[in-house]
Amino acid sequence: MQNPRSEKLEFLQKWMEGMGKCTSLKKNMSLLERKKAIKVSADLAMASTRTESKCWSRALIANIASRDHNSKVLTEHVIGSSQCLRLRKAFTSSSFSQLKNKRMLNRTRKIMKRRRRTVRSRVKKVVMADSIARRLVQKRTEMLKRLVPGGDLMDDDVSLIEETLDYIQSLRSQVQAMRCLLATSQLMNCS
Amino acid sequence: MLRCLDNSGNFTGNCSDMTVLERQRMRMKWQQEQPCHENQSLYGDSALGEVVAKSMKPELGQLHFPSFGLGSSRFEAASAISATSMAGVEESRGTGSVPEKEKMSSACGKHSFKKRKSDKIHSSKVVAESENKEKKMKGGGEEGESKITEQNSNKNTTTNNSSSKDTCGGTSKGNSKASEVQKTDYIHVRARRGQATDSHSLAERVRREKISERMKYLQDLVPGCNKITGKAGMLDEIINYVQSLQRQVEFLSMKLAAVNPALDFNRDDLFSKEVFSTCGPSFATFGMGSDMNNPAYLQFNSGQQVPPPSIPETFLDSCCFPQILPSSTYESDLHKLISVGSDQPRAVSSSFLSQPFTGVVEASHPKMEM
Repeated sequence: MQNPRSEKLEFLQKWMEGMGKCTSLKKNMSLLERKKAIKVSADLAMASTRTESKCWSRALIANIASRDHNSKVLTEHVIGSSQCLRLRKAFTSSSFSQLKNKRMLNRTRKIMKRRRRTVRSRVKKVVMADSIARRLVQKRTEMLKRLVPGGDLMDDDVSLIEETLDYIQSLRSQVQAMRCLLATSQLMNCS
Repeated sequence: MLRCLDNSGNFTGNCSDMTVLERQRMRMKWQQEQPCHENQSLYGDSALGEVVAKSMKPELGQLHFPSFGLGSSRFEAASAISATSMAGVEESRGTGSVPEKEKMSSACGKHSFKKRKSDKIHSSKVVAESENKEKKMKGGGEEGESKITEQNSNKNTTTNNSSSKDTCGGTSKGNSKASEVQKTDYIHVRARRGQATDSHSLAERVRREKISERMKYLQDLVPGCNKITGKAGMLDEIINYVQSLQRQVEFLSMKLAAVNPALDFNRDDLFSKEVFSTCGPSFATFGMGSDMNNPAYLQFNSGQQVPPPSIPETFLDSCCFPQILPSSTYESDLHKLISVGSDQPRAVSSSFLSQPFTGVVEASHPKMEM
């Protein structure tokens, strides 16, 4: 594991960089715009500390970069244009979108099947605790996949849980850093 | 080795009265041993096999007992087979040498029962322990077996092991799935007593154990998960936690935007010493515990004389706010901070110290306070 101190340092530096870039892009932003700028820079900074090792960070960066032009510029500034390009290629390639489409297709198929099944099997109601438990776990796994960026790319549960672990850790440190900044800036304002 | 195979053929041929089940078991065992012979040439089996066969010979007459110890065959199966085959042989023979065989069979039976009992008790323990049990066994054949399993377990203790017995099928399948193991060889996965031994279920079990291991890490990470044991409940908690963290990020960024009319967090005075002195060096971050405290404190001390090395670093030092979640550590940190604050000859008093904390507490989502 990397040195957590250096990671936090890196996070803060990148965050400040991102926010500086945002202000240079547009002066006099509204509250919402500022909030978005802060959040996006923080997310980018968080993801950049983990780019090489984890999938979620790459997916997050790719998502941000693909939102709109400003975000793309910001991403390139913070992450570095070459890496940004590579990530976007990896995540928005035709094969990837095909995969996504296939997954969506599978999901809709399952839903249709389930609907058909419920209509037919109203007569027989065999309640198996095993299958219920399995279905519960499956539903929750799907939810988790939606929450964690890049989660639906991972087929096996093991890697999903690893990604979740890492994501939770990064989120926590992000929240901590934000709280620190908030507290100190409040202090500054008060004094 | 070929001799033994021939013998086994003779054996099965002679005891035609053996039940189908027993024959199937024998066949399965032999099949399991086939790939094992290729993989485990380390065992030097041939010599031992001969020894076993020879030791069997005088006691069992024409019965050349298959050298089931050759491969890493299952003890339970072996003992069961030995017991049943002995019984079957007894029935089929029924000659003068019966009392001898009877004795042998009863001895075998006893030993096999003992083995079974001990296996049941110790089925969940590690290989080495079961090895000790096996060492206590008596009987020539059993001795041979125990020697061989000793060898087996010696080899196996060096690999990653779940706590169960060895199967050859598992190892050959483990070969294909061994990409994550440190050894370049295969995973020695043992099937537990009374569980399926085919490669699919073994791989499935390995996967399940990995998942449960990761879930344990998550239990440590997510607060309040110690009591929950089920997978679904755990996942529920994880989802809630991730959602709440994401919501916190949103909320905090909104607050930061509100605090600052322009995004000018880069101001030098924001990171000045004045701010740092109010915040002590204590840190209660996860996984970074005590090792953070000391270097941070040292830096803080040196920061008094020397100007801060860089903006973010000194800001890091001021990031002493503990995690809000475990309220007990929060209070202890608060006490620490107050004590540090009192050391400094500043106008900043504990009331001022408490101000940012209350602000922080309000900022945190009430759900997080557990």
